[in-house]
Amino acid sequence: MNAKRLETSRLFHRFGFGPRPGEYALAMKDGIVATRNKFLTVPAIDIGASKVVDPVITDLGPRPAPNSAEVVPFAIAMRTQTQDLILWWLDRMVLSDHGLTERLTWFWHGHWATSIQKIEYALPMFIQNKTLRTNALGNFTTMTKAMLNDGALQFWLDGQDSTSKAPNENLGRELMELFVLGVNHYTEDDVKAIARALTGYQVVRSNGLVSINQNRRDANPVTLLGKTGAFSSDSLAEFLSARDDCAAFITQRLWFRFISSTEDMPASFSVKGAFANRNISSAVNAMANDQSMSDERYSLVKSPVEWFVSACRALELVPSQLVKAGQLTNFLDNLGQDPFSPPNVGGWPSGGAWLSSATAQYRLAFAAWLIKQSSLNGLNNLPIASRLLKSADWLGVPQWGARTEAALRSSLDNSAQFALLALCSPEYIVSA
Amino acid sequence: MDTLSRRKFLKLTSGVLAVGATSTILSLDQIAQAAFNRPLASGTPILVVVTLYGGNDGLNTLIPYKDPIYFSSRPDISYKAESMLPLDGELALNPNMGGIKGLWDQKKVAIVRGVGYPKPDHSHFSSMAKWQTASPDRAINSGWLGRWLDSQAEDPMLAISLGSVLPPMLAGTKVSGSALPLGGLVVPKGGLATECIQLSKATRSDSKLMAAAATSMRNLFSITASVEPILKLPAPPTPDLPTVNGGNAGGDNNLSQQLDVVAKLITAGSPTKVWSVSLGGFDTHANEANAQAQLLGVVSTSLTRFMSQLKSTTRHNDVTVMIYSEFGRRVKGNASQGTDHGTSAPMFLIGEQIKGGYYGDQPSISKLVDGDLAVTTDFRDVYATVLESVLKSPPEQTLGKWSGRTNFLTPA
Repeated sequence: MNAKRLETSRLFHRFGFGPRPGEYALAMKDGIVATRNKFLTVPAIDIGASKVVDPVITDLGPRPAPNSAEVVPFAIAMRTQTQDLILWWLDRMVLSDHGLTERLTWFWHGHWATSIQKIEYALPMFIQNKTLRTNALGNFTTMTKAMLNDGALQFWLDGQDSTSKAPNENLGRELMELFVLGVNHYTEDDVKAIARALTGYQVVRSNGLVSINQNRRDANPVTLLGKTGAFSSDSLAEFLSARDDCAAFITQRLWFRFISSTEDMPASFSVKGAFANRNISSAVNAMANDQSMSDERYSLVKSPVEWFVSACRALELVPSQLVKAGQLTNFLDNLGQDPFSPPNVGGWPSGGAWLSSATAQYRLAFAAWLIKQSSLNGLNNLPIASRLLKSADWLGVPQWGARTEAALRSSLDNSAQFALLALCSPEYIVSA
Repeated sequence: MDTLSRRKFLKLTSGVLAVGATSTILSLDQIAQAAFNRPLASGTPILVVVTLYGGNDGLNTLIPYKDPIYFSSRPDISYKAESMLPLDGELALNPNMGGIKGLWDQKKVAIVRGVGYPKPDHSHFSSMAKWQTASPDRAINSGWLGRWLDSQAEDPMLAISLGSVLPPMLAGTKVSGSALPLGGLVVPKGGLATECIQLSKATRSDSKLMAAAATSMRNLFSITASVEPILKLPAPPTPDLPTVNGGNAGGDNNLSQQLDVVAKLITAGSPTKVWSVSLGGFDTHANEANAQAQLLGVVSTSLTRFMSQLKSTTRHNDVTVMIYSEFGRRVKGNASQGTDHGTSAPMFLIGEQIKGGYYGDQPSISKLVDGDLAVTTDFRDVYATVLESVLKSPPEQTLGKWSGRTNFLTPA
């Protein structure tokens, strides 16, 4: 496989959400160094993203009494706000001129995986999403501090129910296992200790407001990972994220989501050193420059949202304008990935888990539904004579295999079918 | 019953496959034909695995209802003694498990107590991975039933999971089980179908993941042809359950829907030896008693209904159901009327071939290990028995050398 085409394709599909028509061919002309720099340099203003208007998401207050007159309007508002929130984010992913910020926000959403299914209100999830975006390429310690005071996360992991009398271990355990240190880098006694240090939080469910109730808080010193002291959420975030295990763990997670979820991380992967100061941007830069980026072994399955967003970009579609939004969320649900509803605190599945016969079916139906709503300009503008070859550029695919070429060749006179086969081809479902 | 549905199966299947009979489709045809030309031989054992995600509280499932420590450890989440369903002088089932209690009385339920693995892990993901890979000591990428699939002749119908995402349990190193969503599968027809099948061929330039993507589409066509007609049939009747408003009780939840599909396909002779169904929501850190009782009610009624459906088929002697979760929960309740992640818990095995009763020792709630219940049975004892005595395969292929067994099956 042509290394330049492969690396360019990976920049588009892993550090952004795929090319819009023409972008991949242009990047090939610019060369890999210029393209990489372009992907890594976040512009001061993203004109595409700035056109996406923030949704109106308000504090809907406590749930009205059952059977009262307010129940129906309340339920409608809850549903509308959640849908607006999902469409807003998908629009940002599709319309951003520069993909890196949304891409990292998406990564962190899967990392600090919080589901709206528990808190139910859109507002705390909206606030969390903004926190993740603000810190997406910033400092990981700052992000950890912010997340410990995030209402949606606290509620999701029962922080509001954890008291000095009976600490709830859920948040403390996941903080160490899934968010900062990685599994087995602490003992069960550490879990009990951190649970005590994290007692006393209270969350207003409808707006995500977090406070600390000193009466419910265990302010006594605890011994955590060998250090004895009374921790605040800030000092806890500093203490945990300063550990070497944190750098190793976050490096591993970046490897898993950006380079390969199936192959082991080689010792040569250069990210951990770049993350020494917990600067996420440096880690991402190191990753984009790492030699693994041009190594053919490291293919990665696009998750359903990644596949959908990149298809929208190629088809020049805007998620919130699709007819209808309900059908869009249904398709994503069938494929197993609703934004803001990860299946559990471990985040989204990866690799082969997205490749079942069932998802193959839904992907075909989903693609057909999208194609019906697209002008297919990106494809129709390619002359038939060179369409087969150039369609790889259109979608940012390094190269079509012989099997896919054969299927596409017999659909040259039918651009809807051509697009459907291309979007559902193994070469597009998987980032080579 | 069996004959009728198999005929429908045959007829509709060949109809679907008649579209564009090229040599490519012929090979798919062969797979689908095999699915019904050699229906699972009568008497072939079938395993149905029920995964309860989230960590089911074993102590509120099989309850030491005479033990004052149980009540004092969980003032907010213990059930009233009179509401429980006593199995003997010590243990009782959760009040909502009436259906399973009925099967227990018929000696069709084996309860393996205190099941877990060495050095219990309190993380959902690690613990579920240990159970599903059957490798508690080191992380590996294949599932225990996936490795069993590796040892069998390749057939996408051999192991099927209900739902669109495949559980790791069914991922082998060479082949994997298939996933079947509840609504069934709809595939393109006509010229597009021909091209999709072309698109699903293996090609030399494929990476492993691209090859897997191609396989998933290939399986879509072969499985759809085989199962789609069956899914359109009504669910099998439940001859020995009371009817409510013209229908049987308990059929309106997701687990029941999954088991309905399994019952239909088993009835039709699907050459499937392993089925996987699941129910989530057992992570009851807060407000547990109601939530868990409701979920256990779903498990109990769904399985009772399923076992009853099987009675209207010729397969009811062949099916063994195995129920497990990634861990039990802490003995002592927390401040949120819930429990935190724990260790061992009972496993349930249900079927006509089961020798009903208890297996393994009940872990003591006065002698805890780090605040948790002791593990008295290794889950690999149960798996080894399932592999050897239900699936009739040497357990070594899947588990390596493992001598432990739990003899819950009636000797043949």
